[in-house]
Amino acid sequence: MTDNTFNIAIAGNPNCGKTTIFNQLTGAHQRVGNWPGVTVERKSGHYSFADVRFDTIDLPGSYSLSAFSAEEKIVRQYLMDDAPDVVVNVIDASNLERNLFLTTQLIELGRPMVIALNMMDMADEKGLSIDMDTFATLLGAPVVPVVGRTGQGIDLLKEKILRVATDISGKSRQLNIPYARDIESELDKICELFDTTEGDPHFTRWKAIKLLESDRETRNEVRQMKAGNEILSIAEQGVARIESIYNDTGRAVISHARYGFIQGAIRECVTEDLSVASDYSRQIDRILTNRWLGLPIFALFMWIMFKLTYDLGSLPMDWIDAGVVALMQFLSGILPDSMFSSLLVEGMIGGVGAIAVFLPNIFILFFIIAALEDSGYMARVAFIMDRIMHNIGLHGKAFIPMIMGFGCNVPAIMGTRILESRRDRILTILINPFMSCSARLPVYILVAGAFFPEHAATVIFSMYILGVLVAIASGKLFSKTILRGMSKPFVLELPPYQRPTLKSLVLHTWERGYVFIEKMGTVILVGSILVWVLGYFPQEVELERDYSNDKQTIQQVYSQKIDALDLKFQESLENSEQEYHSEMIPYTESKSYQDLEQQYSALKQSILSEQKEALYQVRMEEISEITEQKWIGRIGKFIEPLVAPLGFSWRESVALITGFVAKEIVVSTYGVLFGVGEDVNEENQGVISSLRSSGMTPLVALGFLVFTLLYTPCLATVAAIKRETGTWSYTLFSVVYSVSLAYTLALGINYFGGMFGWFS
Amino acid sequence: MFNRRQKKRPGHQLTEENRTGLRLSDLRPGETGRIVEVGGSDQFRLRLIEMGLTRNAEIAVDKYAPLLDPMELIVMGYHLSIRAQDAEKIVVKRIDR
Repeated sequence: MTDNTFNIAIAGNPNCGKTTIFNQLTGAHQRVGNWPGVTVERKSGHYSFADVRFDTIDLPGSYSLSAFSAEEKIVRQYLMDDAPDVVVNVIDASNLERNLFLTTQLIELGRPMVIALNMMDMADEKGLSIDMDTFATLLGAPVVPVVGRTGQGIDLLKEKILRVATDISGKSRQLNIPYARDIESELDKICELFDTTEGDPHFTRWKAIKLLESDRETRNEVRQMKAGNEILSIAEQGVARIESIYNDTGRAVISHARYGFIQGAIRECVTEDLSVASDYSRQIDRILTNRWLGLPIFALFMWIMFKLTYDLGSLPMDWIDAGVVALMQFLSGILPDSMFSSLLVEGMIGGVGAIAVFLPNIFILFFIIAALEDSGYMARVAFIMDRIMHNIGLHGKAFIPMIMGFGCNVPAIMGTRILESRRDRILTILINPFMSCSARLPVYILVAGAFFPEHAATVIFSMYILGVLVAIASGKLFSKTILRGMSKPFVLELPPYQRPTLKSLVLHTWERGYVFIEKMGTVILVGSILVWVLGYFPQEVELERDYSNDKQTIQQVYSQKIDALDLKFQESLENSEQEYHSEMIPYTESKSYQDLEQQYSALKQSILSEQKEALYQVRMEEISEITEQKWIGRIGKFIEPLVAPLGFSWRESVALITGFVAKEIVVSTYGVLFGVGEDVNEENQGVISSLRSSGMTPLVALGFLVFTLLYTPCLATVAAIKRETGTWSYTLFSVVYSVSLAYTLALGINYFGGMFGWFS
Repeated sequence: MFNRRQKKRPGHQLTEENRTGLRLSDLRPGETGRIVEVGGSDQFRLRLIEMGLTRNAEIAVDKYAPLLDPMELIVMGYHLSIRAQDAEKIVVKRIDR
């Protein structure tokens, strides 16, 4: 088996079409995971060619192997330690010079290599023609021209990979990038010392070059060797000599030399026909990043993104909602009433269902983001918004997840993967929950509608603004304290625009969306069960009021009323029949009879509905008292003293606790607590009037709104933070920070508001 | 804060003769320059050199972002964006056409 399996790794610059080639090679046989310890996507897959299996890994895009970024470290470590049989170096033919910089380092690493010269169509448009044979000779590796988008050249690429993988002798013909004589002599000295002291000739020249570049990781590695110190001192002397000759660091000198080699190679095998050269991306950018049009167009795109996400998503959202309700009804119909059925139906299906309705939104949003990324517009977003985001100590790209936060913080936090530096990612994740997500809107509408009916829209809008301000202030605070100084310089390539392929959009969307589905099956399920447990136990509660007695009384009262009505109806009938004289039509078909009967049934109907309403009222008051006795109510009562300074009652604390599962649950919790029923929406008059009569003042209501905006992001968001930061410490920090901030602000509102007599 | 960090890691000091030279940030959109020297922190200047901003490389300023920062450059035929504050660390010679 091992004879017939080869490991190949795909390496290349960002934006060189590496992933497209990977998709073309492996098709649907791929898996997405994370590289150990970092949130860099690790894509692997396999394909078969000529009865040989190729396990393929798509290395993260990197410009160099200098190990500045997490991506570069991964690429370097993988190529050195995991020793793939073939490295497929994908090169953007329309941007040869810069792409070849990585290639020179891959050549020096000395792994068997095949070069996939991608985007040949675009190179043609630029008027470039490349002499493939000379090019292959110069680089010491087979060169295959391909067009990743259409799959052109992929079969030939597979054939070359097979040939290189099975050609054992090929390893001997290693090519060296030639350096200037003074550098070569230093390299010789170091290599010689390696050869005499170390048996392993692997990577000798590579290590020597890295030592002249003062590469920290290589130095640490060499220090472990027997003759490590000796080698290091020779290398240091070499670096000092080079630096005195060239008046620059060894690393810069070697980088210059690599570009020298590249320019020589390009002069030899590339001819440029300037008459057909066109830079269509530049033409597009004349509009899309135009000084005056750039921002409005970007705003328009964002608006379309939101519109599509929520409008297009609302239809399948209704279906899922209806499906969940139907499933719950069906199950509670066939299952006997028991703890198990309550757990299954109300706890698990109800809880997960409440979040499953967001799936369409999330998938649509991810699809649009994939389109923005694949087309190249995402880099322009960073370009346009950098000035603003730079103020908070962030990269321009961080604007996208921030905007997405207005929809739902979960995909927004998952969207921070578009940021390259971990520090930027964490900063963006920490401030993201303050962007007021759509789940908070029902709460605003309910509470603002109840207490500020005249100014509801203003109050709601100011919640959004407050969220943005808190995010900005927190961002500034974090970038000056806990996340200080780790920011990367802003060096951003603006790649040529490209039409995305549906295949890759679907793949990207699915990869990211799947993470959300996975989470619904784990964290959200557990959280829902927990809230169910708190609301279900203790099973037996002692109620102060005898509700069944009350219900019986109501039933008696109303049946008496109906009896009386029946009696009265009979009497009126008899009276009217006596007065009836016509012989033509029987009395029962007469107009007066029909009038009376109509009157009667109308009266009976209204009595019955009054009865129903009275019974419902009692039932809901019962539920309210039961909830008060359950653990969740007891916890609410228990922490009541803690939230009392904010003016909150136990009801607010229960609502806020359940709101942890998903913030819109605050509304349905209020429905239960005020005994109006769970089936309320934010326009429900019952809850609004109950809220007003509950002793809550407009001032407390404002504090409650602010608290709802800022306190702990919902369970799904916390889970996303844990997943994307990879540590509990940032997750806990986020929870503690947001709760304390919410508490402080709500306290401030209550205290100063009371002092200055706001809203009184 | 930025200054403090710079003090800790001085990076590459510009040579005497270039310290008063024309900077990349002084070029107007549409102008082209030749790189004389790249200053700044080690990480920043090496990243730029790796991206092709080597000595003597030709570099054109294409435009500035709508909010006037960052700027868009064309180097070796591709488009690159850096902030104006970083472009100040790059000494260039204007190429007249």
